[in-house]
Amino acid sequence: MQVDIGVTSGMQLKLILKVIKLAQEAGLRNVWIGDDIGLRHDVFTVASIILLKYPKVNVGIGITSPLLMNISTIARASVSLTEVGGDMRFRLGLGIGGLQDLARLGITVKNHKNVLRDAVMLLRKIWKGEKLLFKSESFALENYYTRHILESKIPIFFGVRGPKLLKLAGEIADGIILSGPRTYLEKAIRLVRNSVEKSQESTRSFHYVVWVPTILIEKQSDLNLVKRTVAFVLADTPNKVLKMAELNLNRIGEIRTVCQQSGIEKAALRVTSDLINEVAVHGSAKQICETFHSLERLGIHEVVFGPPYGVNLEEAIMKLGQAWSGFS
Amino acid sequence: MKFGLAVNANETVSDIVGKCVEAERLVIDCVWVPDAPVQLYASAVASAVAASTKKIQIGLGLLSVFLHTPAQIANSVSTLFEGYGERFELCIGPGDRNLLKSVGIHLYHPDGVISYLLTAKNQIEKILRKNRVRCRIWLGAQGPKTLEISKFFDGVLLNYAHPNTIEWAVDKVGHVKRKDFQFGIFSSSYVYQDFDPKIFNLVRVSSAIVALGASEAVLESLGLRDKIAEAKRRLDSGTTLAKVMDQIPDETVELFSICKPLTELGKYLSVLSKSKIEHVVFGYPQNYSEETVKTLAHALKNWRKNERHRKS
Repeated sequence: MQVDIGVTSGMQLKLILKVIKLAQEAGLRNVWIGDDIGLRHDVFTVASIILLKYPKVNVGIGITSPLLMNISTIARASVSLTEVGGDMRFRLGLGIGGLQDLARLGITVKNHKNVLRDAVMLLRKIWKGEKLLFKSESFALENYYTRHILESKIPIFFGVRGPKLLKLAGEIADGIILSGPRTYLEKAIRLVRNSVEKSQESTRSFHYVVWVPTILIEKQSDLNLVKRTVAFVLADTPNKVLKMAELNLNRIGEIRTVCQQSGIEKAALRVTSDLINEVAVHGSAKQICETFHSLERLGIHEVVFGPPYGVNLEEAIMKLGQAWSGFS
Repeated sequence: MKFGLAVNANETVSDIVGKCVEAERLVIDCVWVPDAPVQLYASAVASAVAASTKKIQIGLGLLSVFLHTPAQIANSVSTLFEGYGERFELCIGPGDRNLLKSVGIHLYHPDGVISYLLTAKNQIEKILRKNRVRCRIWLGAQGPKTLEISKFFDGVLLNYAHPNTIEWAVDKVGHVKRKDFQFGIFSSSYVYQDFDPKIFNLVRVSSAIVALGASEAVLESLGLRDKIAEAKRRLDSGTTLAKVMDQIPDETVELFSICKPLTELGKYLSVLSKSKIEHVVFGYPQNYSEETVKTLAHALKNWRKNERHRKS
């Protein structure tokens, strides 16, 4: 199993590059960029800068939504990054996108499963250079074909959470980026694995990635950072995920309400140790590596170490990298 | 006068970067990276160009405000600015009608295409200002209605090449109050030393694409409407561009392209400089090979030398 580094497109570019430099020095080789929609940076341009500045790291978008960008734009941005990076260093993460973001932009779609199924089919055909005539609720192409035909394959990862989309990932994607509470993760992995086994290409190599809040802390007083992160994540987690995680919806509802009305600091006071253990990976570098190792036993290939990393960013990345190289 | 070279986003990224490095060495002021739904993603290409060059200005566009949201455009520029410094310019416009149609986008907005273009520009500008990014925003314009809103931009890049049509377009823009406003042209180009019919044919095709995508008003004013009506009709009904090329009159090359031997470029540029033009972008296929880029650079060097001599 590999430990990857996670950044988000809303971070300052200087900070993103600093994090990746530290990660590379610590021996981490894969970067995932979360798309903070509408915030400051274009995720594909950020990816290009990373690919160009750090020729040894692989870069994945985790994730972008075909509802927020024309499918032809996602296709050619991916081709451009594959050319910029070379050696199959680029991976594309696809998902529906945050429901709040979609609502804010006035986008409503009835059938999320069809959106992702069509998007994957269209992207793969565009990359092959096929001439396309296609119309659905979300996409329309009329005798469209790109001038850039790919010789290599761009791996498509799904960043999805609900059972229907998890099953679809197992059917058609090359991998999945999972996030959510521990109990949910175990169920989601089983669901995806079953779907891969039942799919038409059941023997294909399917890649499992987990991106959960991971925070390196040295002392008990740092626990507040973990609590704030857990409160923030829980406030944004859909109920169907919470149900799969067997969490008490009333308790989470209270945290959400406090978060909305009084802010994250007050919400963090309601986060108990059982919630922390379910939602976040935290502790010393050694403890985190042990938890990562337990994920490896579930069949996970990559775990993403993403923001906020720890109280001291530089120390957190270096210590985790060193600990993992010893551990693995 | 500043000179730019448009890259061919149908080439591979490494070929594009190679020619831009050469353009910088040959002291061309600016390279422009176009963005069409069938080509590479302009922002990623611009990033690769910026990473391999040091000083050359990089123009992004034309970016269609119907294909990309204002936030996406502004965030792309902001990211490039943060990554490589203050080296970028932006050109926006509606985009090519036929290419947009092929990706399910129709040139329509409830407030009107022109009104939306202006709204988009204001939104882009607002985001750039918030991100503390300084970047010239050009309008890519051709038709009379689009030209009318040029004065609200930092400059206008006209999609014309013939001095008479350029003069007509400059007149249409009218008086502009802002002092830093610039007029420029962005045309398909072939400035040559040894004429190559293969490259000339590419100019013909590029000019035809511009003519076929032009509005009825533009075609009418250029006397082209009836002459290309049949070609447009056939294209709309699915005939390929190659098959309608014989119905495109030769004059489209002169109207929409800079196609001359290098010995005649100086005279042409001198005429342009009298029509307020301050920026000339030599579009595809001028970047066809390192040789064609060198020919252009040589012609520009001669022109600059003569200008200095004339002024002194």
